[in-house]
Amino acid sequence: MKSNAVMSTLKIVLLIWVGLVFSGAYLWAPLAKGLKEYTRVLYFHVPMAWITVIAFLMSALFSILYLKKRLPLYDLYAEATNQLGIVFAVLATITGSIWAKASWGSFWNWDPRETSIFILLLIYAAYFALRSAIEEDEKKAALSAVYSILAFVTVPFFIFIVPRIYDSLHPDPVINEEGKIHMGSRILTVFLSSIAGFTALYFWLFKLKIDLIKVKLQLDELEK
Amino acid sequence: MEPTYVVLIINLIIWVGLFFYTFSLNKNISELKGQIERLKKK
Repeated sequence: MKSNAVMSTLKIVLLIWVGLVFSGAYLWAPLAKGLKEYTRVLYFHVPMAWITVIAFLMSALFSILYLKKRLPLYDLYAEATNQLGIVFAVLATITGSIWAKASWGSFWNWDPRETSIFILLLIYAAYFALRSAIEEDEKKAALSAVYSILAFVTVPFFIFIVPRIYDSLHPDPVINEEGKIHMGSRILTVFLSSIAGFTALYFWLFKLKIDLIKVKLQLDELEK
Repeated sequence: MEPTYVVLIINLIIWVGLFFYTFSLNKNISELKGQIERLKKK
């Protein structure tokens, strides 16, 4: 009962936090010079990409744990966080392509950043294809864990390295080549709050997924 | 397209998407919990 009360409080805090980020983005933070009205996209599109990285990192960590301890739960957690990673990657891609249409004139330009997120989506789609192709649970878990770890090795390459190597239409990364953040204090405050809020949202969704897994396992036990 | 609308569409996609995802997860959990309760009563 106590943990339920804590969870409810956290949900309310998160809701207020996200509301504050939303109002801050529209009412408090100024517009950046080059981006004008599109500055506001920064507060929603970038956190999506950030959470994609976090979700895939979590999957790699659970996969390592699975290979070490061979507990089926870790494999299910890795699958769950990969599903969230895919959802956020798709959201980042859709929102990015609407932004591209408005500022570059077309939804898809095969820009290095667009190409790299597309390849990343294919890599993680293959993870689910691999899972559905293997029937034996233990084999499925072990192969998926190895694949997930190898897939995560490509994430920093596609998200952080490729877009910085090639010329891109995409606005400068938040942390640029000199390793500095060029943002006004208000923009930076809303941006970091948004990153924190969306990260909390990811962990809440992940907790829901864990609850779902546990309830499913309980149901399987009862049905046996 | 007006930039204001672009930004609004992007926000709507994110929030509607996440809302439905959270809602469907919660619904799924409640349904399964209901099934567990029914099985326990049997």
